[in-house]
Amino acid sequence: MPKNITEHICDDTLFSKAFKTYAEDLYHFLYYKFGDRLNPRDKVQEAFIKLWENCKQVPPSKAKSFVFTVANNLMLNEVAHQKVVLKYAQETPQNHTNESPEFILREKEYQEKLQNALAKLTEAQRTAFLLNRIEGKKFKEIAELLDISVKAVEKRIYGALAKLREDIEEI
Amino acid sequence: MNKEDLIKKWLDNSLSPEELEAFKKLEDYAALTKLSNHLKFFKPEAYATDKELETVMGKIKAQNTPTSWFKPFLRIAAILFLSFSIYYFASGLDTTIHTLAASKTLVELPDHSSVNLNAGSSLVYNKRAWDDHREVTLDGEAFFKVAKGSKFDVVTSAGTVSVMGTQFNVKERDSYFEVICYEGLVKVSHETQETYLRPGDSFLILDGKIIATEKTQDLGPSWLNNTSNFKSVPLQMVLDELERQFNVTVNASSVDTSKLFTGSFTHDNLETALKSVTLPFHLSYSISNNTITLKRG
Repeated sequence: MPKNITEHICDDTLFSKAFKTYAEDLYHFLYYKFGDRLNPRDKVQEAFIKLWENCKQVPPSKAKSFVFTVANNLMLNEVAHQKVVLKYAQETPQNHTNESPEFILREKEYQEKLQNALAKLTEAQRTAFLLNRIEGKKFKEIAELLDISVKAVEKRIYGALAKLREDIEEI
Repeated sequence: MNKEDLIKKWLDNSLSPEELEAFKKLEDYAALTKLSNHLKFFKPEAYATDKELETVMGKIKAQNTPTSWFKPFLRIAAILFLSFSIYYFASGLDTTIHTLAASKTLVELPDHSSVNLNAGSSLVYNKRAWDDHREVTLDGEAFFKVAKGSKFDVVTSAGTVSVMGTQFNVKERDSYFEVICYEGLVKVSHETQETYLRPGDSFLILDGKIIATEKTQDLGPSWLNNTSNFKSVPLQMVLDELERQFNVTVNASSVDTSKLFTGSFTHDNLETALKSVTLPFHLSYSISNNTITLKRG
């Protein structure tokens, strides 16, 4: 990454660039970690507004970790205030409408089990696992996003998979 | 390649075609694909980056507008606050009026009491505290016309003079302390002693001793009319006064200055004044460069 002459991000173009680069990842990170109830969208906005307010102290290279940390803390503050049960915005499987009612019921049951199982995962496991499965991110990308090693990502994801299968099959 | 590695590679989407075949043959294949497919239903709504960015920028701009006037406002407020506090602090300081030799001045106090300050004297008072207690500190000689009101104090190193509303003269020079009351009632506190002066009464201390004095008939101190009056005062005191009134230096080393002088001299003419002082003692004088040398005979 070439060193920027401007040492901070107080500039519309730089700021927009940072937003376009990190906002979506941050949103997914928050969404998979804390669920939909705590308004991950708002937290992303708040985090970036904080980044703007503190733009003089934050060099562009630190912008990502700044917004991730801020947003995560914003979430944790709310989690502490209201212990919410994780609930994912659910999209019912629309492409199975021509199946038998029994099949649809079974699918629905499976989906519910899956949701419960996901809620039981640790935040770290769920975040890494869903970023991988749903957003199709590679281990390496997740490792960069979360600032952890690829090995750790692999461990989290595989652990999450094993736990999910265990939970789903035992019921 | 074992099962775990295959699954991990599948998770990372990095299976080679052969490995994919092997993976498909796993007994877990069906369960894993089903799980994976169902997980897709948890995908959140697409994140509209551009729209979100617009919202964020909008909020930032909305926040910036108030700060743009607020910051300079703070600066102005700070400057105003600072200048007011300096003014307040400075106005609380004592006011000092000082007269040089050969000059007299009229001082108007906050309550319209007036003070005539004789040459080579200084008067200190505090404007802010004036309403609480009327107090001036005097070093030298001054004539007071005090407006009616609460107690009025004149503090000198030799004692304190307190009055209610009157006219009086205070003279405090080195070992000389004299208070003459012209109107009203004046209380003089000297060390532990308190003396009340009625109009015409005077109070004199010379070298720590209280000297009895006659009643005066004057309506005001003579120095206001540009003459200095003395009654049985050591010559040294008279010469000191002469120095102050004419801004000269008197050399009287060859003369006995402890002799008492009764009389007066004018402030208008040095020669006349010198004659009034020297003739009674049969002294002669010579003037050169503001220095007056007194000689016997």
